[in-house]
Amino acid sequence: MIGPMKRLLRSRGARKLGRDRLALASMFVIGAYLAIAIAVGVFGLISGEEAIFRIGPDQLVGAWGKPTVEQRMHYLEFYVDQVDQAFDKREPEKALAAIDFFGLRTVSTDEDVMAEKLETIFDPFDELYELQEEEGFADDPENFARLEKLEVDIAAMFQQPEGWERRYRDIGLLLGTDRQGRSILLRAVYAIKVAVQIGLVAALVSVLIGTILGGVAAFFGGWVDHVIVWLYSTLSAIPYIILLMVLAAMFLGSPFEGTLIPVYVAFCMTFWIGPCRVVRGEVMKLRELEYVQAATAVGFGRTRILLKHIIPNTTHLMFINFSLIFIGAIKAEVILSFLGLGVKNEPSWGVMINQSRQEVIAGFMWQIGAATFFMFTLVLAFNILSDALQDAFDPKHV
Amino acid sequence: MKLSARSPLLAVVLCLLAPFSFADPGTTADPGGGSQKEKVLHLPMRSAGPGSLDPILGSTVYDTRSCNYVYETLLQYKYLKRPYELEPLLLEAMPTTEDGLTWNFELKKGVLFHDDECFPGGVGRELVTDDVFYSWRRIVDPAYELKSWWLLKELIEGLDEYKEEQGKRVEAGGAFDYSAPIAGFKKVDDHRFQIVLREPVYRFMWILPMAKLSIVPREAVEKYGTGFSRHPVGTGPFLMKEDDWVTNQSMVFTKNPKYHPDFYPTEWMPEDEELGLHEAAGKRLPFVDRVEVTFFVQENPMWLEFQAGKLDYTQVPAENYLEAFHKRSQRLKKEFAEKGVVSHAVPLLDFIFRAFNMEDPLVGGFEPKQRALRQAIAMATDLYEFNSSFYNGINVIYDGMIPPGMDGYPEDGKGPITWAEADLERARELMVEAGYPNGEGLPVIDYYTSLSGNIPEQAELFKRQLAQIGVQLNLRLQNFAQLIEAVDKKKATMFSFSWSSDYPDAENNLALFYGPNEAPGSNHFNYKRAEYDRLYEQILPMVPSPERTKLLEKMRDMVMADTPYIGSMARTRFYVINPWLKNYKPDETFYNWVKYMDLDESARDL
Amino acid sequence: MWAYILRRVLYNIPVYLGIIFLLMAALRVNDPIWGYLGKNASHEAYAAMEKSMGLDQPLLVQFWDFTSGLVTFEEVDGVSRWKAGLAESWSDKGRPVGDLVGDAVWPSLSITVPALVLTSLISITIAILSAYYRGRLPDKVMMVSAVLGMSISFLVYIIFGQYWGAYVLNERIGGEFFAIQGYKSDEPGWWVTYCLLPVLISTIVTMGYDTRFYRAVMVEETGRDYITTARAKGATKRKIMFVHMLKNAMIPIITRIMITLPFLVMGSLLLEVYFGIPGMGRALLQAITTLDFPVAQLLVALFAGLFLLTVILTDVFYALVDPRVRLQ
Repeated sequence: MIGPMKRLLRSRGARKLGRDRLALASMFVIGAYLAIAIAVGVFGLISGEEAIFRIGPDQLVGAWGKPTVEQRMHYLEFYVDQVDQAFDKREPEKALAAIDFFGLRTVSTDEDVMAEKLETIFDPFDELYELQEEEGFADDPENFARLEKLEVDIAAMFQQPEGWERRYRDIGLLLGTDRQGRSILLRAVYAIKVAVQIGLVAALVSVLIGTILGGVAAFFGGWVDHVIVWLYSTLSAIPYIILLMVLAAMFLGSPFEGTLIPVYVAFCMTFWIGPCRVVRGEVMKLRELEYVQAATAVGFGRTRILLKHIIPNTTHLMFINFSLIFIGAIKAEVILSFLGLGVKNEPSWGVMINQSRQEVIAGFMWQIGAATFFMFTLVLAFNILSDALQDAFDPKHV
Repeated sequence: MKLSARSPLLAVVLCLLAPFSFADPGTTADPGGGSQKEKVLHLPMRSAGPGSLDPILGSTVYDTRSCNYVYETLLQYKYLKRPYELEPLLLEAMPTTEDGLTWNFELKKGVLFHDDECFPGGVGRELVTDDVFYSWRRIVDPAYELKSWWLLKELIEGLDEYKEEQGKRVEAGGAFDYSAPIAGFKKVDDHRFQIVLREPVYRFMWILPMAKLSIVPREAVEKYGTGFSRHPVGTGPFLMKEDDWVTNQSMVFTKNPKYHPDFYPTEWMPEDEELGLHEAAGKRLPFVDRVEVTFFVQENPMWLEFQAGKLDYTQVPAENYLEAFHKRSQRLKKEFAEKGVVSHAVPLLDFIFRAFNMEDPLVGGFEPKQRALRQAIAMATDLYEFNSSFYNGINVIYDGMIPPGMDGYPEDGKGPITWAEADLERARELMVEAGYPNGEGLPVIDYYTSLSGNIPEQAELFKRQLAQIGVQLNLRLQNFAQLIEAVDKKKATMFSFSWSSDYPDAENNLALFYGPNEAPGSNHFNYKRAEYDRLYEQILPMVPSPERTKLLEKMRDMVMADTPYIGSMARTRFYVINPWLKNYKPDETFYNWVKYMDLDESARDL
Repeated sequence: MWAYILRRVLYNIPVYLGIIFLLMAALRVNDPIWGYLGKNASHEAYAAMEKSMGLDQPLLVQFWDFTSGLVTFEEVDGVSRWKAGLAESWSDKGRPVGDLVGDAVWPSLSITVPALVLTSLISITIAILSAYYRGRLPDKVMMVSAVLGMSISFLVYIIFGQYWGAYVLNERIGGEFFAIQGYKSDEPGWWVTYCLLPVLISTIVTMGYDTRFYRAVMVEETGRDYITTARAKGATKRKIMFVHMLKNAMIPIITRIMITLPFLVMGSLLLEVYFGIPGMGRALLQAITTLDFPVAQLLVALFAGLFLLTVILTDVFYALVDPRVRLQ
């Protein structure tokens, strides 16, 4: 495998690729995503819990967004409710002490102190709430002044965390929060890990299966070829969304449900067809070549010829297909998640896009924007890379 | 090519051409061309429509609602009366009994089935005693998959034996005998009959208005076979022709010109007067000529069509709630009130819960440690956060399994034992008692829930709440079919479900914890406690009384202490009604209210 | 020629049977009966239902029953009806699956056919222009936007398409130009209201892929001998592009369109689900989620049959127009 790899790296195609600045840039982007995925998945940059815990009020707009009056009232209500609800508990002090949104705590856990603060806020808050239900609220500058004063007063009930913790919380709030008050940024970044995981597994396994089956089919011919061609003709006669759906749905009652395994299986069983077809065609050509004929004449074993001389010469096809399947898998994850068959126990871009459907109608774009942006960048990089790879190694491809 | 004549490909071509002959688009004629005075209701149905109009095959509320247009039951709910009361519909008077075992019924005379080809001459005949017996015998006919059998099981003298006997007959290749005698079905004459119960059971009255016990004519069932599901023939106020049901799209019902004398109620609640619901008292039903029901798989279009005036009423989708109502005051917003729109808040007989499988070795069982684990999980669950995040805070959160409005519901929803409020401190203490301090040593728990709507998001919230005390959930989001399979096979460790009461009596909900009802029956918790079962059997024959209520409360708190579920929540459904729709008092306990509806077209122009 | 066609048909029969078998096996991994029994089930009712659904039979027997139904006709009320279409849907009681599937064909076609026509026209035009300006600014702009467009999820297009096309637009004009969702074919102008928006979204999504494909075809054609000859003869560049090349590029274009045809009938599952169009894609999704096997099986059998038929026709077409393809 090493020899042909070197040959590939020294080939005209590789040199062409090396001169393609866009392709290099996209490889850099992919590398960055990979690094983040490793940082999250292996070193725990963001833990699974941080991706699901509440960081503040729900549907908070991002750092450079401008909330409407209604939204501002809604955020205030959240903070007031937090303190208020603590007093409904058996031991309010303990409940007050338990309030912690990524380091944001009440200024005091003393029952009396907080009760007093809450007391001064209740009336102006309710009054403003009543007013806000009337029309023309936003037109009156006096109302704004009252709202701002209230915001200051309510903020005074809480204390921001210090130092690094403070910065982490600010970063978490950068792109706002979703319906459950979870940080959109942390979730979108955590989803990089999920996407890379799915893309890598799907692409690696599919390319491996496809190449081996394609190579075997073309090289041995006969009934082996017939069976493999039958298998992929059969699978490709079902539209791929439906195939994915049926395969993923198969796992709904199984013990694997809830893990990523159904997604992997559905993707691999669907995506191996592409590389298999291409490799089969290529090997058909290769086996007629002189050196293969020569190796056969010398009496090398057929398996050995296939593994040592033929498969390695399809490496460029493997790379191209790897890149294409990676894109396919990330995009298909969104659709599977839409159908409820995708990622379930972690945040993924598909899950985020789906959960933002209602938010979009209400005009809240932060979640869908974040997920789409992160996904777009990665898919774009892979699209550019695929094109460059194809240009460099397989220029005749239509 | 001899082969091709029977080849699958040819068949494929043929069948692909075939659809074009009946999928004719865009040319449906102008509806009826009826006169100006024709009154047409435009009602929504929040689903893809019913699955079947055969009363004993239907199981969803949409089936029930649709059946209620065409079919009738012996009893019905009093339309305006709350709390709920029953009154005769196909009967002359309420059935009478002396010993609680033998019940005397007398059918109204002159009730005619819809005119249909299945009858000689195409003219509907009179409904008689034999029709009642025939309709109820169908429930035990294995040809109909015994879907409604649970309703009559162990209730009527001789019916269980009849079912056994006929089941064996069918198994052996014979035909189901609809004329074999049943001890509990006693015909006096064509309009009078007796039903004999095995034991006195209070529930018997409450199942009589259920759509599954509607009266159907034998002629239609035999003529249409399985097609009877889409070709209903009943005695109801409306009738439906086969073409009037466009799958996934709409249904049209037409006034039954021969509908038996039936009148608008003369009893009402004081608050009904404000809305003018009493004005039609004593008038002959139904009021409208045609009802067009449109199916809505998604809520948004339904909401928009209501606002455009194309629908007479709609329920308010949770996602659009804040468009129409002020959050805190629950008042209708000005732009709606000005148009004359009226709103109703309908409390549903709802029991929404997250359940434990009591037979599960980890979370089940009655040992103090096992109970402590369940209670810890319950204490970590903040139902109020669910309510405000997903339901705009309009749901009712209560203790126990008996929904608001029934005997046994605790005052203000707060019983002596409560898990409704989250208390993480206490939950962590309970985790220590259970032997899993901070969740150490506790395996990941599988949590089964539906994958439709915002339920996956709710599951994520649940997962997060429990993570706070170290309980890890593995979310298993499934379609209804797989969800219920896991529950029925006792595989689901934890799951979320809801139960809508079949009738407004606590016994229906208490049955969910009765041992013999264990999965695949309705006791999905597999809760089994001999003492509870005894109490349940004790209340079965009792009529409402303070003593009975005491027993209900005792049973409720007994279950609460064992904590086989986390809950409870009952939805409140908001309805908005356009000003031209008259006499509508929304309800989701019974569904035969369309016959009371009327239109006032003059209100449309305002 | 006929021998060739016959051979292709015979070759595809095992493929066809394989598809149906795989699907039937995959569906039966899940047990539909509990779902249909509802929340008050019993083992007795389970057995009764299993029998009436025929699920107590071994898979091979069920397979035989279904596939033989595909090729037999039965006499019903004096009319000969296709047996596979007579089976009853499980979730729509009393409804023959043939009717159910038949009703879904038209809504699917009313989205997919216009979408195909529109996409093909636009992308072929752009592809020609792109090839004409090959390597220059217009080409680069068009190709970059194609790649950018391809990098966004289909679902995002749908969500924003519905938001801007239906919600925002309707609010601006104060009426309903595009329906947010739904399908009714009995109103005047129904197609614009219910179908045009999904068609536009579908066009925008597919355009990137199609344009790149057609451009590659055109670019390949520019390298061919006849172009050089034509140019040598003094034909203008424009004439070469639009007359000679388009004519020769017709073969790959028609092939690509033919191959997409069966997918038209299946409809665009996502669009149908999102916009509530009662087409085949939505019917299939519904059948799979409710485990309504008779409906799912018939839909896939129909689609696969149509697909294989097109593949055979395409091969034959290719053989007819391109003498280089041997009819071996």
